[in-house]
Amino acid sequence: MRKITALMLGTALVAVTGMASADETWGDYPGYTLRVKLIGGAQYEKLYAEIPKWEAATGAKVEIVSRKNHFELDKEIKQDIAANTIDYCVASNHTSFAPQYGDIYIDLNTAIKPEVLAEFDPLALKNATVNGKLVQLPRHSDISNLFYKKSLYADQANKDAFKAKYGYDLAPPETFDQFKDQAIFFAKAPDFYGTQFVGKDEAITGRFYEMLVANGGALFDENWNPTFNSAAGVKSLMWFKELYDAKAVPAGSLNYLWDDTGMGFASGTVAMDLDWAGWAAFFNDPKNSKVAGDIGLVRAPKGDGGKRSGWSGSHSFSITTTCDNQAAAVSLLTFLTDHDNQMIEARQGLLPTRTQVWKDITAEFEAAGNPFMVEVFNTYSQSMAEDAFTPPLIEPWIEVSNVIWPNLQKGILGEMDPQAALDDAAEKAKVIMEDAGYIK
Amino acid sequence: MPFWRRESATPFLLLTPAMLTMAFVVIVPLIFSMYTSFTGYRLVKPDSLYDWVGFRNYARILSDWDFWVPFGRTVLFLTIVLNLEFLLGLGIALLINRITWGQRTLRTIMMFPMMFSPILVGFQFKFLFNDNIGIVNNALQSLGLSDGAIAWLVDAKLAFFSIAIAEIWMSTSVFAILLLAGLFAMPRDPLEAAKVDGCNPWQTFRHITLPFLMPFAYIAMAIRSLDVARAYDIVTVMTDGGPAGRTELLWTLIARVGYDNSRMGMANAMAYVSTILSILFTWYFYRKLVAARRYMGGAQ
Repeated sequence: MRKITALMLGTALVAVTGMASADETWGDYPGYTLRVKLIGGAQYEKLYAEIPKWEAATGAKVEIVSRKNHFELDKEIKQDIAANTIDYCVASNHTSFAPQYGDIYIDLNTAIKPEVLAEFDPLALKNATVNGKLVQLPRHSDISNLFYKKSLYADQANKDAFKAKYGYDLAPPETFDQFKDQAIFFAKAPDFYGTQFVGKDEAITGRFYEMLVANGGALFDENWNPTFNSAAGVKSLMWFKELYDAKAVPAGSLNYLWDDTGMGFASGTVAMDLDWAGWAAFFNDPKNSKVAGDIGLVRAPKGDGGKRSGWSGSHSFSITTTCDNQAAAVSLLTFLTDHDNQMIEARQGLLPTRTQVWKDITAEFEAAGNPFMVEVFNTYSQSMAEDAFTPPLIEPWIEVSNVIWPNLQKGILGEMDPQAALDDAAEKAKVIMEDAGYIK
Repeated sequence: MPFWRRESATPFLLLTPAMLTMAFVVIVPLIFSMYTSFTGYRLVKPDSLYDWVGFRNYARILSDWDFWVPFGRTVLFLTIVLNLEFLLGLGIALLINRITWGQRTLRTIMMFPMMFSPILVGFQFKFLFNDNIGIVNNALQSLGLSDGAIAWLVDAKLAFFSIAIAEIWMSTSVFAILLLAGLFAMPRDPLEAAKVDGCNPWQTFRHITLPFLMPFAYIAMAIRSLDVARAYDIVTVMTDGGPAGRTELLWTLIARVGYDNSRMGMANAMAYVSTILSILFTWYFYRKLVAARRYMGGAQ
């Protein structure tokens, strides 16, 4: 009976979304070739498989002139700006990177119909705005919440031992202090680890930044003077250091990026993983993951400031000012971010930027009898609404990040005292902000 | 008669296409990048190409410890990698030279590592040395040689060693091939004369084979020193210069400054200072090459 209901609901949803697509007209651009540069990678590719539908509807062709990970794409776009060779119309973008690119992208506020923009989450659009211009249309968002291995928390022996050692009941962590206690408690290196963290590049800067905010600190004051070397900054850095020193994280964590942490949790050798929702379906798939069916999920923990960590951003698409057919580019952008295509991405766990898709994807998973993915979307929906904040949307963000993360590593490894490491990074960040004209 | 129709002008006219090609492909980019090193040029701000800052970039570099530490590390990396590649390449060449059957097949197999893209090699060794799921740690633990997860890519010495291993694995065959060519070209008479005079194998190798091979070795070293001084792909993939800058080499630093931070003026200034390294190594190996050839009684 349950299966039949699910089937009927699913069919109804397909019919509704199918109607929405049929009503949409994507324009007519026969013989035109739209050149695009797109972010590549397994989680992004499913959407691109839909592009032939747009080509069939419009008569245009899409030529993907570049498809790379975002760090490589970023370098390529910077070279294009330098060489004045922006000969493509659409490019993948990201809220953290967009402020660097000056005025190479058009303001989508005037190019896309207001009724289309009204269907997007207002906060996602606000974060996609640079100097008052909507330079990118958000495709999907990211924010991290805490996945954990449920069986560890249900084990009575674990409960008793934890209570005896720490004096409070073992339950998924509500604060970063509890997160640290539990990670150390569960770790049995080198076979099993309490947690793990991304340890280099903007990834660890972002993690540090969100903990800094959760602990009541800030990266800059109102005059753009770096303030991350505050007591809250030291406390945040110490969290990483204490976990590292206690061997609660793999020894190679400082070399890890997102794939390493995701694969680590899926390997079943890690108790907790603060990660984005893009892994959710993968984690719960027995073909890929040893923790499938044993995963719990709670919102990211709180810091000393009573706030949850919520470093967030959106992958997006932009249209170049040099584009020779902006109408076609707008059409493709609207197509790639329309309801149906956001549903395709959401089925993997990627967080939609259209408010209706949040409701529809949850309903679809409910109808399909997949309570784990329903929980994923409910949890991430709450954190996107209540916890999300972006890094400073300023041009020198990546450069500032590049002086912070090596010093975070030095603090974690004990090469520098944590306070000295942050003071040194703050001094370097100040020079960057002065050079960029933010500090007069 | 105009100059270009005179007979004496013919060599110049014939050389003109080559000179123009050289100018556009080599000299113009060199002059342009040299010019940008005196500006505050930022990739994302094309107008900054005209912000003349004089020697400010160079002055900052000279007093910047964050530049000189990777500079020194690159010199150390070059020294270790070149010497080990030479020793291993020499060993492989001597062994292959002794083989009488299947030598061609072995020579081809020996070239395999060079056929891989450096990025692929980087990923391969990153996986091998992964502390948690890597083959090296698993093998050590299974054999009972280690009971912990060795942090190959984190520990300062081990991380340096790991990237050196990857570099050596990929390019030792350059030495092996050149030294093998030297062994093939070696005349038999001195070896036979040595045997007649009662030299043992070590004496023959030390006083005849090795001096004969040294010019080939110095050519290989000059080529590889230019390559290794620009080491980038493998290091970027395996450690990206980290953690805490422990494996930062000149070109991972320069690429970060130039592309990630968009400070192309500063990056070009760093690149020009770093070419000193390549010039010094090339000059050194050229001098050694000339000395080795003189020792062998060859042309100067």
